Amino acid sequence: MDTSGLNFILQAAFWVTVALTISGAAIAVFPRNILYNVLGLALALIGVSGFYLYLGSLFVALMQLLIYVGAICIAIVFAIMLSRPLHVDIPPRSAGKVWLGILAATVFFIGAAGVALKTNWQAAAGHVYKASQWSVQNIGNALLTRYELVFEVISLVLLVAIIGAVITAGFSRRISS
Amino acid sequence: MGALFRDPVLFATVLGTNLPFFSMAVILLFTRSKPTVSSRISVGSIAVSAICAISLLARLFSAPPLQYQTLWFCSGKLNIVFGYYLDPLSLLMLTIVGIIACLVQIYSLGYMAGDPGYSRYYAFQSLFAWAMMNMVIAGSMLQLFIFWEMVGLASYFLIGFYYEKWSASQAGKKAFVMNRVGDVGFFLGLILLLIGFGNLDIPTLNHAAVSHGISQGLITTSALLIFCGVIGKSAQFPLLTWLPDAMEGPTPVSALLHSATMVAAGVYMFSRIFPFFSASPQAMAVALAIGAVTMILSSTMAMVTYDLKQVWAYSTVSQLGYMVMALAAGGYFAAVFHLTTHAGFKALLFLCSGIFIHEFHTNDMRIIGKQGGRKLKIPMTCITIGALALSGVFPFSGFFSKEAILTVLYAQPNKIWYAAGLFGAVLTAYYSFRLIFHLLFPKDGIEEKHHHGEHEAGSHEHEEGHQGFVFWAMAIPVMILAGVSVVLGFFEHGLEHFIMRSLPIPEELARHAVPGVHAAAHALSEGAQRVHEPNGSLLTILGVSAGLLGIAVAWFEYGRQGASRKGFLSYFPAIWKLFDLRWFLDIFYRKGLDTLVYAGLTSLFVRNDRRIIDGGIDGICIFTEGSGRLFSFLQSGMLQFNLVLMVLVAGAAVLYFVI
Amino acid sequence: MNSLSTYLLISALLFSMGLLGILQRRNLIGMLISVELLLNAANLNFMAFNRFLAHDPVTGQVITLFVMGLAAAEAAIGLSIILALYRKMHSINIEAAQKMKG
Repeated sequence: MDTSGLNFILQAAFWVTVALTISGAAIAVFPRNILYNVLGLALALIGVSGFYLYLGSLFVALMQLLIYVGAICIAIVFAIMLSRPLHVDIPPRSAGKVWLGILAATVFFIGAAGVALKTNWQAAAGHVYKASQWSVQNIGNALLTRYELVFEVISLVLLVAIIGAVITAGFSRRISS
Repeated sequence: MGALFRDPVLFATVLGTNLPFFSMAVILLFTRSKPTVSSRISVGSIAVSAICAISLLARLFSAPPLQYQTLWFCSGKLNIVFGYYLDPLSLLMLTIVGIIACLVQIYSLGYMAGDPGYSRYYAFQSLFAWAMMNMVIAGSMLQLFIFWEMVGLASYFLIGFYYEKWSASQAGKKAFVMNRVGDVGFFLGLILLLIGFGNLDIPTLNHAAVSHGISQGLITTSALLIFCGVIGKSAQFPLLTWLPDAMEGPTPVSALLHSATMVAAGVYMFSRIFPFFSASPQAMAVALAIGAVTMILSSTMAMVTYDLKQVWAYSTVSQLGYMVMALAAGGYFAAVFHLTTHAGFKALLFLCSGIFIHEFHTNDMRIIGKQGGRKLKIPMTCITIGALALSGVFPFSGFFSKEAILTVLYAQPNKIWYAAGLFGAVLTAYYSFRLIFHLLFPKDGIEEKHHHGEHEAGSHEHEEGHQGFVFWAMAIPVMILAGVSVVLGFFEHGLEHFIMRSLPIPEELARHAVPGVHAAAHALSEGAQRVHEPNGSLLTILGVSAGLLGIAVAWFEYGRQGASRKGFLSYFPAIWKLFDLRWFLDIFYRKGLDTLVYAGLTSLFVRNDRRIIDGGIDGICIFTEGSGRLFSFLQSGMLQFNLVLMVLVAGAAVLYFVI
Repeated sequence: MNSLSTYLLISALLFSMGLLGILQRRNLIGMLISVELLLNAANLNFMAFNRFLAHDPVTGQVITLFVMGLAAAEAAIGLSIILALYRKMHSINIEAAQKMKG
């Protein structure tokens, strides 16, 4: 059976995902209208979830969609809507700062890319890639046995964050009004 | 989940111990503004708990110890187990806690009636009962520790119940902090055990300690550290002053605190891992000494105070000292038995005192006596029964348990402990009957209530008619407890058989293990025919005569016609003062804090302030101002500028090292 | 296409863009968005290493899930801080929030 056609489609889809992610990231960073940024972020996050699919984990991809795209982006949109005039006041950019930022980011990118390309990556001794090992069951198992304590602590952190968020937002309202 | 409903024992355990928690949640969340509903919920749930506890005891009376456990969580190699351990000791204690808590809550229906914090009171009572019951049946030391702390928290709430009163909130804080001091030791001990032995399961721990599965040094160190927890919770020698202050809470709370819960928790924990402790003679010796010192010290304190509740508080401390001594001398059953009888009669004493306090609005025994305390027939009778039990007079429960303890102490090679025990018994009888005679035979006879005015007296009669419910709500639990105190002693052999069944010390090992355990085995094997031995009857006579001697001295000074009513100690004002000020322990702590923290460190800091800071400050000021001007050009307040620098440096470092 | 270095490069690119956003945006919400990009880049790295190198193929996924949880917490608290700041300063321009400037 000739799979080259199929491979080509997969290949193309991968690069489309890459393009989607990078352009999404660009939209998230460059435009000055904050609403565009959020939409760009959503795009980039969807792209990343596509990568997770390519990496073989359906579950994490779905979680990515659910948590990031579904929850965090919406939360940000809500925040923008709650403080209405935010997206109206667009301060002018100072060229110096932009160039400095680009310089720093570029230096960092070169560094990271250098590390990624120059290192001789070797798989760990027991590494075998089997799709069956990636099942949700395994993840749940690990989550509730080996990583139980971390899991509980993160739940606690979330709880504290939520209470903290309520208090921060609520008290400041009382103070200002 | 299914197993929960299929296994009646597990079901009763879970239901009985956790129902109070739900009642607390319901009260705090929904029924805070409806006191009647709150009290009904609370009393109902604790009654169910008590019934569950009793039925568990009946069902498992002749069954082997039962253990339920499930993996709670694990992290790395550390497995934390959650579970219940139902052996005779925990079942007995569970029953005691359930019954006493139930009686106290019924009593509180009367005592607390009309209090603004009624709902809150019942919520905390439920919390307390929940924590204590869960602590009792905990399967591992960690779980025990968690609920141990819960008990401490609940007691803090209850002691500081009248939080608007300065002394009450102070007393709550004092109890909390002193307990923490002990608990730090306890926790360190647990960690040490966890690192050294790797398992905190109570039966495993006991068996390992007995069969030399743990090294001797580890046992001694961790046992001493864990004993710190007992010292804090059961108010033993260095940390004993919080308990008398805990009187600031409502009287039923004191009754609960002093009899079945809180302070009993320390002794309970000690007996829970008794085989573990007994594997370390050194730790046992320390515990014996501390118990003896505590007992004598607090008895002397009780001899001089006029506060009704405080007398019983000191006596609790001294009785706890007794129990610790008994345990440390290897008398496992004696201590547990004394814990049981003490729970009964101490609750009785406190609840009776509560009726007096409720009636006369004062804690001073002289005033209560003067205003006709003895006219309240029921509480007067019951408090006398309690005092007789406390002094160890024959038919009452205290007699049997105290005998058991004295026998164990007598078996110690060093007879000084036995002498201390006898001396303590004399003091106990003296101070309790000093109180009784104060109430019964006030100094100048009973005053007519003329200074209260006709109106007051009239309204009082009026009240009596109206508050019949209030009075009986308080009187019935008291009468039940009095009945228990009278008959409990006769169940000694049955209880002994029941309790000793679970002790994981093989007989042949006990014979040549350590002196403490040896004594325990000795007492165990010969306990049944103790009374028939020549030594035994002599011991009994000695013990009883110690109690009678104390009562006689009290009678001579307070009871008889034309007695001086001053107490022989008043001829030695210095000693009186010493006892009255609690052997200067509080002052010592205060002074210690003052010299160490306030005088020592603070004065150092002040000097530091004057010399170095004040002196240098001007120069620094000038320097700072100048340099600040200079550097403030750098700090633009621009977060992002700083970030850019950071990232640039980091990126450059990566580039330098990698490429 | 499906090689480790591709993923590493993509994640490095994502990370740099997030970094750029943090460094030059003045809108606090914009900065928060960029932080999300950074976290995603890190997550992508974890997943890639997990797929190609790891001994136990579950570890990386679990860590990714943890990071997601933390990101949710971070977004919640960050947004509430931004709202509080906005009420106090009537601006979410980071350059306006300079009370401690020298």
